[in-house]
Amino acid sequence: MNYWPGFYSLPGAWYLLLLLPLVVFYFLKLKRPHKSVPSLALWSQVINDRRVNSPFQKFKRSILLLLQILLLLFLVLALMQPYIQSGAERAEYLPILIDCSASMAATDPETKESRLELAKERVTEIIDNLLPDQRVSLVAVGSTARRLTDFTDNQRILKQSLAGLTVDDVPSNLEDALRMTQALSRTVPIKTVLFYSDGNFPQEVDFDLPFELNYQMLPTAGSNVGITSFNARKNQTGNWDVFIRVENSEKNESPVTVELLQDRQSIAKEEIVLGKGDSQRLEFSISADKKSSLEAILIPGTYDSLLSDNRAFLNIPQSRSLLVFIDPDLTSYRYALGENKDLVLYPEQDGAAGPPEYDLVISSYEKNMDKQALVKLGVGFVPDDLKSYVLLEVNLTDVVDWNRSSALLRHVELGDVQITEQPVWAENAKVENLEELGYEVLIHGRLGPLLLQKRNSDGLEFYFLFNTDRSTMPYRVGFPIMVSNLIQLTLQEAGIAEVQASATPLLPTVEYVPEKKYKIKAPNGKQLSAESNKNGIVSGVAALHVGKYLISGEGAKSDEISVSLLNPLETSLVSIDEIQFSEVPVSAAQTQVDSDKPLWSEFAFVAFVLLLLEWWYFQRRPTGIPA
Amino acid sequence: MSQGTQVNQYTALFDNKTLSMLERLRLNPTRRLTNRSRGEHLSGKGGTSTEFSDYRNYVPGDDVRYIDWNIFSRLNKPFMKQYQHEEEMHVVLIIDASSSMDYEDKFLRCKQLAAAFGVMGLLNFEKVSAYSCNHKGGRPVNLSPCTGRISMKRLFDFLSSIEVGGNSPIESAVEDVLRSHRGRGVAIVLSDYESFGDLQRPFNMLFSAGLELFGVQILAPSEINPEINGDLRLVDSESGQTLDISSAGDLLGLYHEHRVLLEDHLSMLCRQRSGRFLMTNSGDTLEHVVFDLLRRKGWVR
Repeated sequence: MNYWPGFYSLPGAWYLLLLLPLVVFYFLKLKRPHKSVPSLALWSQVINDRRVNSPFQKFKRSILLLLQILLLLFLVLALMQPYIQSGAERAEYLPILIDCSASMAATDPETKESRLELAKERVTEIIDNLLPDQRVSLVAVGSTARRLTDFTDNQRILKQSLAGLTVDDVPSNLEDALRMTQALSRTVPIKTVLFYSDGNFPQEVDFDLPFELNYQMLPTAGSNVGITSFNARKNQTGNWDVFIRVENSEKNESPVTVELLQDRQSIAKEEIVLGKGDSQRLEFSISADKKSSLEAILIPGTYDSLLSDNRAFLNIPQSRSLLVFIDPDLTSYRYALGENKDLVLYPEQDGAAGPPEYDLVISSYEKNMDKQALVKLGVGFVPDDLKSYVLLEVNLTDVVDWNRSSALLRHVELGDVQITEQPVWAENAKVENLEELGYEVLIHGRLGPLLLQKRNSDGLEFYFLFNTDRSTMPYRVGFPIMVSNLIQLTLQEAGIAEVQASATPLLPTVEYVPEKKYKIKAPNGKQLSAESNKNGIVSGVAALHVGKYLISGEGAKSDEISVSLLNPLETSLVSIDEIQFSEVPVSAAQTQVDSDKPLWSEFAFVAFVLLLLEWWYFQRRPTGIPA
Repeated sequence: MSQGTQVNQYTALFDNKTLSMLERLRLNPTRRLTNRSRGEHLSGKGGTSTEFSDYRNYVPGDDVRYIDWNIFSRLNKPFMKQYQHEEEMHVVLIIDASSSMDYEDKFLRCKQLAAAFGVMGLLNFEKVSAYSCNHKGGRPVNLSPCTGRISMKRLFDFLSSIEVGGNSPIESAVEDVLRSHRGRGVAIVLSDYESFGDLQRPFNMLFSAGLELFGVQILAPSEINPEINGDLRLVDSESGQTLDISSAGDLLGLYHEHRVLLEDHLSMLCRQRSGRFLMTNSGDTLEHVVFDLLRRKGWVR
């Protein structure tokens, strides 16, 4: 640090010329009041004696003038806006990114101070020491970046925004914040970006730094244990297996108690001890014939830094049979699914009308693909939008390759399947054309695609471009596996066989009345609003805090939707001291940001003290009277 | 004091009650400086009064009428009987009436004290004379020696009539007085003694003239405890000379030191000439000064 002060407003030194009129006026106004005394005999002796005794007589005589000169000097110095130079290059525009993800709420076991409060203190220091030509913009880094202030030197606005910053129960996304800063750098010159974080974010960030990133890592918090996963799966007996994963941070061994509540009633409790960095999956079995809500509560046995990961919520859906429509002429599929008691097959033999919506539609007619269903499987035809790219020829062919990791084709062997219909690429058609339309090729034939998958807003669609009944596929062991996979997919899409707890930062999609407004009350008391689309879907609602969200509006009937943190990285409170960017790594700074220290307030204070001193000196009672 | 009350007062200097109390007091000089004329003061020499004093051996030339024949008959040796000699003492009141005394109520106190001492002298059948000194080198206004209660009115009238003003320093005032004064006794010098001159010479002259020196310094309250501050121009009330002082508040300590030094110096000068010295504050009551202070100091009895 350079202790020689700099002056921001050096032209203020011109005000030192006021010293001349000050001295002139002082002597001009020095007209002594007359005081009549009986005799000057004593006073003459006194004056003679003082002249002998006091070598600083002249100085004492003008002490008021000296005080006035000092007062003026300090006022002018304050006006010149002096500052102690930190030695660091001074950035004119300084964006400050402040991590406000869930882990920033972790508290220190001794001071009980959260990481965010610590970051706020340090940023406040910078704001306090802002120089007149410096502008700061505050950016909150949560799951998305949020700009709190524009570039400003208004300390009141900056401090107000900083005080209003709270922790969101979400994982942090540094990349988003850096991209926002990059966008800001197009409007103002940005050399350095300050980033305050506890280091709890993915180490690798896919971003090319166009500026210098000063990563200020905050001290680590205490130990933490939390719930990182909460899901349930329906088992063969019709009961639900509930799985709760509990993880411990690297600091200390932690005894914990996990309690499971069903519809607010405690149904199970388990005590475990987690070693450093350990995780454990707990399994509970519950019976739930109807819709019910589960809540997992973790009660730590020792100090727990983070509270938001100690609760998790899960909704068990109403159990029901799958509604499946299969064309009567697709006998192989009907045969494969006929014995499954959890399904209701349509059309029924009595010819009764089916439901308006199905869970699964398997049809060889394109017109049946218009039926409302979560999963659709078209067999033996090319969809209309693909007819210009794929042609269907009668020819023998076989499977060249298939996507083995696809949910539909998992454990399915198609190597020796013979097919009598051959889809062929039209002239100049290729896979990219299909991908542009949202299709993914799952099975490749010799001259064209055999199976396509498409995900649209209504659900999942699969298209066998050949008729499977005109191949050897139904006679292979892979066929029932493929059909079983299809049923599992449908169950997943319907959400009645396996459910997973919803996590921040978004509310799960819900379906209500189309194009209506809904009010959502967040756990922190804030009111949000959302509007359903033309299909009645309400989506994209931010859920930044763990807890229950109350939705009210037409068709919602005060629905409760709960979200949990469920983020192993946030729970672990792991800190990384080096961020790996695309080109260069950025290490955490070893020292705190040392900003220039403005001194004008100190000088102004001294001037004020001098003013008081002068007033006191002028007004004081004579001090020479002996006791 | 109301108008009616003033009419009934014997003098405007103090009320009748104080006067009656003053009449019971007597001056108590240390030395017995008397004149040959008879008076009520016992002289140091053998006298001719009826009050026996002592015996002494006869020496040739003594008046045989004072031989104690009874002792001669018993011892066959002549002894002289001695009697106390009562002689008159002259009380000289020297009043500094220069301009420096015209400050607050210094001059009033000066006249009151002069009147008090004068009353004590008159009622003790002493000769009392008073001198008021205004101008340097000028002839002092004086009250010729008088004695007895009958002269009290004269004394009061004189004191009431004297004017304050002038530039007479106390040292020249004493010399002016001694130029015309004759007689031994007590010289009561009432002044503020704030003079640039040397007082040794006038005090020596008083001593040589057979006058026991009673120095009374009268200062105003604002002279004893001045409350001034800042930058001032002091103006001498007698000479009109000026003196600029800065930070007067800081000088007060030195002022007090010098005032006390002056007091000690005057006290020493008086004591060296078998005299007495007293500093009084004109802010104090007359009763306090006369009946308390002077009594305790042994000036009066």
